[in-house]
Amino acid sequence: MTLKSKKEEAGGKKKKGLRSFLSNKLPPYIMVAPAIIFFLLFTVYPIVDMIILSFYEWNVIQPRKWVGLWNYKYLFDIQIDFKIALQNTIVYTVSEVFFLILFALIFSVWLQKDSKVNAVLQRIMFFPHLCAMLAVSVMFSWLMDENGLFNMVLSFFHLPGLRWLNSSSTAMMSVVIVSVWKSIGYQTLILLSALKTIPADIYEAAALDNTGPVRKFFCITIPLLSPQLFFMLITITMSSFKVFDSVRMLTKGGPGKSTVVLVYYIWSYAQSNLKYGVAAAAGVVLLVILLILTFFYFRILDKKVHYQ
Amino acid sequence: MGKIVLKNICKNFGEVKVLENLDLTIEDGTFTVLVGSSGCGKTTLLRIIAGIGPATSGEIYLNDEEISDVAPGRRNIAMVFQNYAIYPNMTVKGNIEFGLKNNHVPKAERERLISEIAESVGLTELLKRKPSALSGGQRQRVALARAMVKKPEVFLMDEPLSNLDAKLRIQMRSELIELHKRLKTTFVYVTHDQVEAMSMADKIVLMEKGVIQQQGSPEEIYRNPSNVFTAQFIGTPAMNILKLPNGCHMGFRPEKALMSETAPYENCAYRTQGQVLTREMLGSETLYKVMVAHVDGSSQPVMVKMTEETIAEDRSVRIAVPEKDLYFFDREEARIRKEEKPGQYEECLRCLREVRT
Repeated sequence: MTLKSKKEEAGGKKKKGLRSFLSNKLPPYIMVAPAIIFFLLFTVYPIVDMIILSFYEWNVIQPRKWVGLWNYKYLFDIQIDFKIALQNTIVYTVSEVFFLILFALIFSVWLQKDSKVNAVLQRIMFFPHLCAMLAVSVMFSWLMDENGLFNMVLSFFHLPGLRWLNSSSTAMMSVVIVSVWKSIGYQTLILLSALKTIPADIYEAAALDNTGPVRKFFCITIPLLSPQLFFMLITITMSSFKVFDSVRMLTKGGPGKSTVVLVYYIWSYAQSNLKYGVAAAAGVVLLVILLILTFFYFRILDKKVHYQ
Repeated sequence: MGKIVLKNICKNFGEVKVLENLDLTIEDGTFTVLVGSSGCGKTTLLRIIAGIGPATSGEIYLNDEEISDVAPGRRNIAMVFQNYAIYPNMTVKGNIEFGLKNNHVPKAERERLISEIAESVGLTELLKRKPSALSGGQRQRVALARAMVKKPEVFLMDEPLSNLDAKLRIQMRSELIELHKRLKTTFVYVTHDQVEAMSMADKIVLMEKGVIQQQGSPEEIYRNPSNVFTAQFIGTPAMNILKLPNGCHMGFRPEKALMSETAPYENCAYRTQGQVLTREMLGSETLYKVMVAHVDGSSQPVMVKMTEETIAEDRSVRIAVPEKDLYFFDREEARIRKEEKPGQYEECLRCLREVRT
């Protein structure tokens, strides 16, 4: 074989390689490119920029000024309002997780039986989930007004009225009530559909094993619902840590700082105080908390979850 | 002891009456098989005995004690379900132990019972496994062990072998027969498979549309069927049933028919001619489908089972059945026995003779 022909062959191979790359390897990347670009642009870039920004002082108008870890020191050391926000968020999240899972379990077991009444109740329960938080908040601020329906009901039973959203001792409870009311139908539906997949003969076997109702619930129903309960635990935790709109609409973080939650804190620092660096640092803390929680859930609880 | 008596059992699902005034006695220590086609009410009956699908009306007695209103867990009855119904979240040991824990059996006693039962069904190595890591046969054993550990007076089994492959099914079948011999407890077994029923049962209860068609030993049901349904349900292929000119029916089992190309079969009560349509070689025997000239002049296919395989397809053959192997049924498809209704029996025989002449 001559040198020339070898060269030609090598050139041919290259061409072939390029052609196969263009026809086989490239198309998949082109297909996923829009999603990847969106992901990089609207998720990865903001996260990276937020982390960078948390080391700067910035008020949008003047150029960024490097301050190192000062923003974090501000959060944890100089001011106490971040700690209050963190505390409030934890209270809100724990209450949401506890009450939503508890009520969803109760309602799903209650509505489990196929009957016309239950079918209607299921639809009614799901209805709040379809409403916008904005509308729900407006409605509840009327209901929870000091002269609103809730207090009228209380006074009918000769009970003292509450100041609901206007008292620092009841404001957080009121916000929790509103969001539990809004999402309970959705969560119930998840558990209800899971309950219906548990084979009837397992309960029949349990009946033949002389199982009492409490033991049946805790030894059979709960373990068989554990994948859905685990899913609910994670999604409710995530959404509760990021709660904003209901707080913004119902209390604006007040009275005092009794309902300031993390995202509201971030928003108010960025929008009202123009302290973007502090807001970014708080955002980083929120991100880290969520990462730790998710890791913890999967590491510790996943073993307890029974997948069929 | 484990004698079950069912009196006047009725079961309705809404408007549909599945069982109506059913009476049945299941003797202590027997292996009783409830057999019938899908939807005949056999599983419903089993669930009534277990207490998990209560009867609309009627009484159930276990050892002469009424248990109609006793909770399933307190009846001293164990059940093996078609899909095993093992608790998927518990280990094999947990599954076997669950009922014992519910009945507050002390721990030491529980451990002893579990190891004893696990040993007897060959689960000792698998006690720590979850059901998802078990094969079909192993799950079946867990379900059995769970039932056995309670030492019940009655075992109920709802088509427990239907989810196993053919080979394993035959193996489990003989294991169940052995188990019954060992435990000497009452077994009530539901199946739609007549082979399973014939091979396992001391007593077969054949059901159709919620009514017991016949009950008796496998031999009795096979040799002395009470009606056309029983005659055709038990035995493969099913009994050939031909209509007689007087409106009655005549039947003979494929394995009892004689067939050859030349023999005149002069001493047989039923004789006819036909042509072989198909031939199925099954190994030890051969199955022929033969189109025969029927007594009323029409032609009708019948099945003939023979150990010889010399006759080719499309050949003209003579078919005959001796009188002792002929069964006659009246217009309502009930059996005409020679000793009970000699007149009707003779009339049917005469019909056959007239046709021949």
